Formats: sequence, C-alpha cells, structure tokens
Amino acid sequence: MNAPLNRRNFLTRTAGAGLVLGAPAILRAAEGGSQKINVALVGFGKQGKVLFEAMSNIPGLHFQAVCDIWDYNLKAAMAKVRARQGSVPKGYSDIDEMLATEKGLDAAVVATPDFWHSPHTVKCLEAGLNVYCEKMMSNTIDGARDMVRAMERTGKLCQIGHQRRSNPRYLYTLHELIQGKKICGQIVNINGQWNRAVTASQDIGYNPKLSIAPEVLEKYGFANMHQFMNWRTYRDLSGGPISDLGAHQIDIFNWFLGVAPKSVFATGGHSFFKEREHFDNVMALFDYDTPQGQVRAFYQVLTTTSAGGGYFESFMGTEATIDISERSAYTNIFRESSAPSWDELVSRGYLKKGTAPAAKADSGDAIKSYESAAPEVYQLPGDLNKPPHQPHLENFFASVRGEATLNCDARHAFESEAPIYWVNPSAIQKQRIELTEEHLTV
Amino acid sequence: MKFRHLLLFVPATAFLASCGSKEGTSDSAASSGPGGTPGGVPLVTELPPELIEGTPKPIQVPNLEQAPTEAPTFLVPEGTELLSAGKTVTSSDPYPLIGSLDLITDGDKQAGEGYFLELTNELQWIQIDLEQEADISAIYVWHFHSQKRAYHDVIVQISDDPEFNEGVTTVFNNDYDNSSGIGQGSNRPYVETRFGKVIDGQNTKGRYVRLYSNGNTSDEMNHYIEVEVFGKALGAETP
Repeated sequence: MNAPLNRRNFLTRTAGAGLVLGAPAILRAAEGGSQKINVALVGFGKQGKVLFEAMSNIPGLHFQAVCDIWDYNLKAAMAKVRARQGSVPKGYSDIDEMLATEKGLDAAVVATPDFWHSPHTVKCLEAGLNVYCEKMMSNTIDGARDMVRAMERTGKLCQIGHQRRSNPRYLYTLHELIQGKKICGQIVNINGQWNRAVTASQDIGYNPKLSIAPEVLEKYGFANMHQFMNWRTYRDLSGGPISDLGAHQIDIFNWFLGVAPKSVFATGGHSFFKEREHFDNVMALFDYDTPQGQVRAFYQVLTTTSAGGGYFESFMGTEATIDISERSAYTNIFRESSAPSWDELVSRGYLKKGTAPAAKADSGDAIKSYESAAPEVYQLPGDLNKPPHQPHLENFFASVRGEATLNCDARHAFESEAPIYWVNPSAIQKQRIELTEEHLTV
Repeated sequence: MKFRHLLLFVPATAFLASCGSKEGTSDSAASSGPGGTPGGVPLVTELPPELIEGTPKPIQVPNLEQAPTEAPTFLVPEGTELLSAGKTVTSSDPYPLIGSLDLITDGDKQAGEGYFLELTNELQWIQIDLEQEADISAIYVWHFHSQKRAYHDVIVQISDDPEFNEGVTTVFNNDYDNSSGIGQGSNRPYVETRFGKVIDGQNTKGRYVRLYSNGNTSDEMNHYIEVEVFGKALGAETP
C-alpha cells in the first residue's frame, strides 16, 4: 500500500522545479518506465477526458482501443489519441466486442457511469486486463463487492480512482506529519465539505442533434438522452453528490484514521433541485473508535452554494488542526497555542510558517475570557506540479510494470467506501445506522 | 430599431428562443461609456443561457479583466449586419479534436456537449471567409462558457489575403508576453462568460477574419462555440 513519503522525498522532488512537489518515491520508477503498456479507454465522457489528459504526461502508454456508446465521445477519443500518439486507436461502441477483438491489451481505464463500473471492471479483469476504475466503485455495495472478488479471483490489478491516495500532499501529511510527528496530538474531530455553487450544479446540456438512438440508450440502461448525460442525478445509476463528491473526502477520513466508522447518521433533501432523484444537499455524522480514542466526523456536500470555503478535509486535534484539500489554497495547518513549539520543524523544512491572519479589532460583543488564543498558521513546504489524477495513474501503471504496489486497490477502496454506501439510506430512512461487519465487509 | 431586425439572420434554436435573451451592453470593466462607433446604435445579439459545470479552476493570468455581469454595450454604425452566419470556417488544425468547424458560424451559442469545437494545443487559429470584402465593426466571440476560464494569446486579425501575409490589421491582441510570436498586445486577458466578448473591428476593411488562441487557464486546448462578425458588405463577391 502507500509508501511513506518523507520530508527528504518531498523536498528532493521540489528542487529545480520551483515551489512544486513531484511524485513520491514510489512513483519515480513509473515516471521513467519505458515498457510499453497497451491501454483501452472504456468511457470517454467528461471524466474519461480528464484521465486521458492526465495520462498524456505518462511515458510508455499506447492507447490501442477506445470504447464509448456515444459516437460524439468516441470520435473525440479517437481524435485525441491520434493527436497524442500519431496513430488512430480502434474504436468500439460495445465493450464485449472490444474485449473479444483486441489482442495484447494490458490495461483498461474505466470511466463509464457508476452503474457500469462493476460490470465493466469485472469483464476487463476476467479478460486478463489490469483495471483502473473511477470511483465510486459502483452504485451499489454489492457491485463493489463483485469487483473485489473479481480482482482476487483473477489475480489482476484493480486500482480505484481515489486519486488523493497518491497525491504527495496527502501522503506527506499522513505519513510525515500525522503519523510521524504526531502533529495533531489526539485527533478528536474531523470536518469535511464540498460546497458547489448552484450555477455549477446545473444539468449538463447537450446538442439534441447529436442524441444517441433510443434503442441504443435502452440497451445500455438509459431511459433517454437526459439520463445519459445526467446519470449522476438518478438513484438507479449513481450514488448522487455524496458519492460523486463526498466519496473522495470521506475516503480520506477513513484512510487517515485507519479504521471504518461504527455508525452513520445523515440527513438530506431536495432543497433546490426538486426534480432530481438524489438529494441536492447531504449532511452526515460518523462516529469512530480509534486506537487514540473516539473521533466524530461531520461531512457536508452542497450543490446549492459555494460559500464556506470550497472543498477540504479538516483533521482537528488537541495540538493542531490540518486543513487539507486537493487545492493547495485550501491547505493550512493551525498550531494550538498550547502545543509544543514547531520552530524546529520549520527550521528543518517540515513546515513553512504561514502568514498570520490579520488581528481583528476588539468589538463590544467579545467576552475575552471565553476565547482561546488564535492558532498560528503553517503551510506545507511545497506543492503538486501535476494534474491531480496523474500521480494515481502513474502508480497504477508502475504497478502494472511490477515496479510499485497499488495505492488504492479494490479491497482497500472497498473498506473505505463501504460506509459511504450507507449515507443515503440513513438520510432516506432518517435513522442512525450502526455499521456492523455485515455492512462493511465483502 | 432597425438593427434589431438583424437578429433574423441568427438561426436561433427553440431553446434559445425560450431561454436566451437579447441584451445590449455596458462593459462592466469600462467606466467611460460604451465603446465602438460614436453616434452608432447598440449592437444586439442573442445571448445564450448560463450553464456552468463542475468546479472551476483558478485563473492565474496577469491584468485579468473583470468578468462582466451583464451584456457589454457596444455601438456600431447604423445598417450594420451579421455577416458571418453560415459562412465557411477553416483552421490551422485540420483535424479538430471535438466538434466541427461549422459550429462556429451556426448561430448556436449554448454551452454543453455538442456545441463547441476543440482544436489541439499550442497556438491555433480559425478563419472565417465572409465571401466578400466588408467594413467590419465588431467581432463577437464565445470560446467556451460552461466554465469560467481565460484563453491565452487571443489575437484577432482582418485581411483580404486568405493567407494573412499582406494587408493584415490586428484589432485585438492580449498576448502580453509575445508567446505567440505574432507580437505583443496591449489588450487584457478576459474571463469567458455567456456574455461573450465584443471586439472592436475598428471599421476595418477585409474579407477574412482570423482568430488565434493558445490554450486556456483550464487546459491546453483551444475552443470555439460561436464567432459573429458584424459589419457592412462592401460589394460583389471577390474571387
């Protein structure tokens, strides 16, 4: 699993590249790898394009085939591959035909809608391919279980696209600061959120002149073109915002704590997008028992407002709070005034002293005896200089070459994702769910 | 007003008719009144509805013009017409990555899949053939407005030479560091929105309009949803 990323690796990769962080040590071999890997792209919608752009920076990949049921996406995939590698890949609208026809494929990158993740991943694994599959693993926990079983049955690699697991910022924070320096003291609470503006959460538009034939849509499980374009809002096709956005961050809760929560209590509603099947805002409470003690975590996903700090995870301890995000601008570390000095950590390059927030003028409503001293602000000593998905894909392809181990294989992804499958049921039933072995295991 | 009748030249879709709006200007970044031809009439065109998708990426370019919150006000000579509707478009990239060149002059300015053209990375151009020389007063551009972003090295030129070797007039250039090699410009980078960008054609005479770009703040690619060229045709079709 994740190789510890220490300060030396962190800073070595920074040298010569400005204020940037490179990949962790585990990834370096992948960067230099030259053994050709024949890749099939399965699904070339918005996320498929994001992954392809991230893969464009990875040497040694040969995109042999692409598959998408929408001719518009398929043509785009073929054109982008041609532009990148100078040869046109074979295009397919049906994955079964692709797997039956193409010889010599080493890997598939699956970025289809959530309800197709499990069937497509299992098909590819059983065809002898290694698979990188976007998260959420599936729209159902049983679909995710099938993926774990298929990975272990076939012995092929299956990486799930929780890309923060390979992000040097997250690896450094977990291994060096939280586990190594125990900088937080005892973590007691976690707070996470993804607040997205209502304008950024509208239905995805499409040109009706390019619609897929109804019989094709039906064959692949879509009632109509709107459902094909906006599958994330339908309960039979996806897990909704708590899955699309929240899964990335709740995964970090579980990964950093190293345990699954023992309960979840959630609420949600159709507060703005009243026609959608999935809730447009969800708030969830998780209770954990960790070796250090109890931890309570709160997570909210809003598709109705962007205010409140964007998207981040906040690990709140007795000596420090770490705000971490895929965006460096949201990443800060706050030292409690009672914590031991961090001057040595700064002098040794583990942290940078941040800019102190401007002192606020006293106001009449402040009761000084109720307030704690303001924490000092610190920052990480570097930053990621790659597209956010690239390190995770590098880890996958390095693992295919036998030069690394997966940072988020299907079994470990399942262990972290399993509690997330119970958020919507808790919100729908308006009940706290005690998470047992039955809820959390394959 | 006579000019509003020119909207008939824009093949508005049913969706646009129900959701779009016809709006006149006031460039929020400008404080000294409307630009364009003094004493002219406001340029009016169909504006697409707002449709923003996903999480925006930070826009990090110097001297960025503030995103407008309303349609820009721009004055053009009375009698100005939309000249580019349905006209032939060519490009430096013979194999667009997404979409087709005819999308640029099809009158459909919506965001979303199937409405935009994507050209490959690095400096690329598209070129509209107006089929005859014209006195060009404005070029209205929508690169990609479902995500707030700024395109690099936006350069707009007019010429009677289809190769743009001779008689070239540059009417807009925000290549602040001459990374294009075409020359340093003094116009400001700007944020893509549904309001598009009105570029002053300066009543330049020419048959061809060429627009350059060099990627954007979200990715390396070049995009166009629609380009409208406004002006007055000067005569018979030239060979």
